[in-house]
Order: sequence, then C-alpha cells, then structure tokens
Amino acid sequence: MSVVVRVRDVWFSYEREHVLRGVGFEVAQGSFTALIGPNGAGKSTLLRILLGLLSPERGRVEVFDADVGGRARPIGYVAQRVRLPAGFPISVAEVALLGRYGRLAPPRRPRAADRARAAAALERVGMAEHAGRRFSALSGGQQQRVLIARALAGDPDLLLLDEPTAGLDPAARARFYTLVCDLQRDEGLTVLCASHDLEVVSAHADRLVLLDGDVRAAGPPQEVLDSPALAEAYAFPEPHDHEAGNPS
Amino acid sequence: MSDFLDYGFVQRAVVTGALIGLSCAVLAFFVVLRRMAFIGVGISHAAVGGVALGVVLGVPPVVSAAAFSVAVAWVIGWIAQRGRISEDTAIGVFFPTAMALGIALISLSPTYRQDLMGYLFGNILSVRPSDVWILAGLSAASLGVLSWFFKEFLYLGVDEEAARAAGVPADPLRYLLLTVLAVTIVASMKLVGAVLVSAFLVIPAATGQAIAGSTRAMLGVAIASALAAVGGGLWLSWLWDLPSGASIVLVSAALFFAALGAARILGR
Repeated sequence: MSVVVRVRDVWFSYEREHVLRGVGFEVAQGSFTALIGPNGAGKSTLLRILLGLLSPERGRVEVFDADVGGRARPIGYVAQRVRLPAGFPISVAEVALLGRYGRLAPPRRPRAADRARAAAALERVGMAEHAGRRFSALSGGQQQRVLIARALAGDPDLLLLDEPTAGLDPAARARFYTLVCDLQRDEGLTVLCASHDLEVVSAHADRLVLLDGDVRAAGPPQEVLDSPALAEAYAFPEPHDHEAGNPS
Repeated sequence: MSDFLDYGFVQRAVVTGALIGLSCAVLAFFVVLRRMAFIGVGISHAAVGGVALGVVLGVPPVVSAAAFSVAVAWVIGWIAQRGRISEDTAIGVFFPTAMALGIALISLSPTYRQDLMGYLFGNILSVRPSDVWILAGLSAASLGVLSWFFKEFLYLGVDEEAARAAGVPADPLRYLLLTVLAVTIVASMKLVGAVLVSAFLVIPAATGQAIAGSTRAMLGVAIASALAAVGGGLWLSWLWDLPSGASIVLVSAALFFAALGAARILGR
C-alpha cells in the first residue's frame, strides 16, 4: 500500500518553545489515521504544516510524494466549528460550493458542473434536503456534515480533520465518525484526524499516532491504548487515587 | 419632487450618491461578514488627519486623505496580523492619534475650518462636476475589485483557515480589502462625512442580513436600501435644510428598523 503522507524529523516552535520535536510518521493510502494527544501536543500545528499554512523549522513533509508547497492534488480540510456573524444568511448550498474554489476554471465563476458537484457532496453527507437553509440555523453536527460536503466538493484524495467534533454531543460525534468511515471506505479517501475523542476515534480509526511533542506511540488502536505512553502523555491518575476517594 | 431634481447640483448629488451608495453597500456586505465595523470607524477618523495633512502640505485633501487612510489601514492590518496586539487595540491607538493629528494641523490653518466641517459631516450638495467623475472612477474601481474577488473574500470571511488551505492568497487579499475600504471611505466623505461614513458601511448590510435568506438576497437588499437611503436622505435634506450625511444615515437606520420589523412579521 502506498504512502500518502510522509513526515520526517519535523521540528516547530512558537516563541522559542518547541511544540514539535523531531516528529516522524507515515499515513498509508486509504487508511484512517487518528492523531491523538493532550492539549498542546502539537496536533493542530502538525496539520497546519501539512496544509502548508506553517513551515517547519527542520525536517521534511511530503504529501502525495511532493513537498507541501508543490502539492498538486487537493486536500480536504475540516476544522472546529465555523464562527459566522450571528444570523449571517449564507446558505448550506453556498457553503458547499466554496469547496469548488480550487477547481474553478477561468474566468473563475462557478458553472453548472460545479454546482452539481457541490449538490452531490451534500447528498453524500445526507444534507441535500437542507441545501436552501441558512448554515447558521443548523445544529453543530449538521454544520460539520456540511463542512465535510464542502471538503468533498473539491474532490480530495486526502481529508484532514482538526478536532472536527469539538463541542458536539456523543451521539453527533458517533454519527460524524461513522460518516467519515463510510467516506473512507466508499470513496477511497485517506483520512488523518486530530482528535481528543480517544474512545470514539479508536473505535473508527485503523491506526493511532500518539503525539506529545514527538511521537510517543503508533500502531493499531488497541496497541496504543494499552501502551504506558498513553497514560503518561495524558497524565491519567493512578487507579488507587479514585478508589481511596482522593480527588487529587 | 420634480423641482428637487431640476437643480444641477442636486442631479450631481443624486448621481454621486448613488455611485457611492452602491460601492458602500457591496463593501458593507464584507464589513459585516468579516466584523470590520470598528476598523471602518478607525479609518474614517484617520482620513480627517489625512485631509489636514493635505492642507498643510498643499496637496488636494482627497489625495492626501486617500494615501493617509490606506497607510493607516495597512499598519493596523500589519499589527493585527503579527498577533502581539489585537486589531481593536491597534485601531484604538491609531483612531485618536490620527484624529488628534488632524485637529492639531487644522488649528494651524484656521481659514480651513469651514471646509473641514464638510469632510466631517458631509455636504454632497457642494459636489462639483469634476468630483462626479473622480468619485465615479473610485466607486467603479472598488466595485470591480469586490466583484472580481467576491468568492475569495466570501471564503475568507466564512472560514479563513480552510480558504488558506484551499490556496486563497489570504494576506494579499486582506490588504486589498483594507485598501478598498480606505478608498471607499475617502470617496464617501463628501456624501456622509467622516463621522457618519462608518455607519453607512454597516447599516445597509445589516438591513439585508435582517431580512434576507441568502447572501445574494442580502447583497440585493443592501444595495436597494443604500440607494433608497441616498435618494430619500437627499430629498429630506433639500426639503428640511438638513445636513445631507445626517439625513442619509437617518433614512438608512429607518430602513434597518423597518427590515427588523418585517423580519419579525415574516418569522425570519
């Protein structure tokens, strides 16, 4: 199976504080890899480097065998919730159509084919019936499905998700990841998702990468969940603390 | 009404006002989407400093105001982009500083104070035929830029990070939008004045937002309400001898409240 994302010895710091220290891992084509780790572990920073929004101080990042700046194949990106001005009347269909931006031919006006592709993406995520509604009127879970549709409208081969279910209730989170798994299987998408939802992502991902400045563990979900590195990274309390009723 | 339109200066005011109202309404759409209302206030007051600078340097005030406003807009944008000081703090520093500079410079040129009132509060009825062509050119340029980059500005306003990831050149476009904002503000000073122009850059879009169900409808309502405010405001200004800027903004505000009422009735 070919490799879609190759990260080698990547270093990055904010104001002289190293956030990433020699990070290296690979993402196989067609896989669902979850990037897990505590707050400040560098998950979002790493995704921003993969998107070309940040440049690493050292190391190399390749997506589809090309340096990030020179990538030719589109990447779909969904982050935490979009914060529009209250009541801004952009419709669900308009949000999905934004995903065609990178695909517009001169004179860069959306054509019928672009609108059809955006409509098909909405259909795929089960939001077609809401196409005419205001985006801001949807629930958080519905909004995230529309953002997935926006990403799909760009016909990506790789989907990057950055804490996409933050603020959603457990049922909406489970529905969201079930959709992502369906897309991975049916569309052949490669998925790399940064998330705090250990339980939910480990139930859906093929592989976990535990990040805490550097890669502490990587492998099948159960293997990473059982590793001592996980408890160390998240600073889980020892079981006897709870048993003794000690809140600290 | 026919008497009102018989006068040449009124005809020029209506044409100029319509052009500026159109570009302000389209720009207001992005001002609301990108939460730039306060930066509009900052730039409009900085423009007064630019007018004063022109007086002292012997440069046409519109030219000096445009150059000064664009410079202030870029500096505010640059400081905000670096992230060490927030955008509203940067505006809070530059807004009174540029205004104070204007007041200080104008105090050195007492004969100019009457004209300054025109820039502060607007006097579109004093627009000369040559002004119409200059303002028409500026409005056309603003509309051209906003129209050509509409999708990019929309994407950046909705989700800047995703837009950057999709290849939208966010930083150049940010400075381009700030430039258009500054130029439109300077062009609008004759119409509504520096004190009130920021309201004209928000209220039409807010009217559209209150009642419209899509961005296209919001833009349409914003343009229609801006043009209605210019026409109605100028007529009231002529009828009751009111300052043109104040009457235009008051009509614009009345349309906003009417839209809010209509939205409530329609259940939007």
